[in-house]
Amino acid sequence: MSLSDPMLYAYLLVILAGFLPTDVFRFAAVLFARRLDEDSEVLILVRAVATALLAGVIARLVLFPTGDLAGVPLWIRLASIAAGVAGYFLIRKSVLAGVIAAEIVIVGGAIYFR
Amino acid sequence: MSEPANTGATPPAATPEEPARVWVWRGVRAGVMSVQGVVLFAGFIGFGGLIRDVGFPLGAAVLSTIFVWALPAQLLIVGGFAAGSPAPVIALAVGLSSVRFFPIVASIMPMIRGKSGLGTQLYASHFVAVSAWVESIRLIPALPVYARMPFFLGLSNYFLWGSVVTTVIGYFLAGTLPQALANGLVFLTPISFLLQLIRNSRDLVDWLALILGLALTPVFAQFGGSLDLLWIGAIGGGAAYAIGRRLRARA
Repeated sequence: MSLSDPMLYAYLLVILAGFLPTDVFRFAAVLFARRLDEDSEVLILVRAVATALLAGVIARLVLFPTGDLAGVPLWIRLASIAAGVAGYFLIRKSVLAGVIAAEIVIVGGAIYFR
Repeated sequence: MSEPANTGATPPAATPEEPARVWVWRGVRAGVMSVQGVVLFAGFIGFGGLIRDVGFPLGAAVLSTIFVWALPAQLLIVGGFAAGSPAPVIALAVGLSSVRFFPIVASIMPMIRGKSGLGTQLYASHFVAVSAWVESIRLIPALPVYARMPFFLGLSNYFLWGSVVTTVIGYFLAGTLPQALANGLVFLTPISFLLQLIRNSRDLVDWLALILGLALTPVFAQFGGSLDLLWIGAIGGGAAYAIGRRLRARA
């Protein structure tokens, strides 16, 4: 196997581009935990950037899905998200309730409209 | 989840110290009872389906669940792999998304560390992810200090190894399920993350960052390029922070 082998490349990605850049922050946090002020300005900014980035990941998965999900019409994917958010807020702010509502719409929509 | 699960983890008052393994198992039991765990495992079933969709090897995906243990970062790796993004760009995006572990770990470690040494704390920090964090904040303050680290390790190990199993299950289910159900499994990841971001949004900055991040995605998709997620994070998050700061200054 060589570095250009896509399977070996996937394993290397997990360790070098996944494990290292993730656990460096976990370990750093342990070292700084005693001195860290959770409400410091820098951390407010950092958390906002992380939240926006994660929201971007979510939006990309919904708007521009890779693989088979792309065959489900966009309006069904958006309706599923809307149902999930509505289910969450209407049913005691339950993530599980929202997920179930969204799943009913996406699975039902995929059966009848794709 | 709005209602706390009855975990049976609350100890009777004034009992002598029980062995650590008792508390490890109580942590595992709390995980089994947790609705958060169900959503987490569902998300990893979706992840397993997604990797099969994009042709990411199962072994590397299992390795990512064990060693990265952060579904958003894992999605960035798989998405970057599928899109052919350069590895340094993927590493940078993963690093930016994992910066959030800094405040998460730093806020929970003083609560759970008890008298444990630095090595144990570093080891335990790897198991901190959003799910274990949410459940620990809810359950651990009621426990005696000596019991917290073993309880946390039981809870978070159950979450991690359960997610390894469900990653594999999701991968194989994606090949055998009817197409519509497979679509539903892949869709579990974005919807469960969106709802957990909504639940975790406590102030204006959180809400603005979430909404701007969602809204900027189709805008940056027009320009394309492998760096668009970083721009979404920097501009969306930066703007959310700036607006929040201005409103605070005015108040």
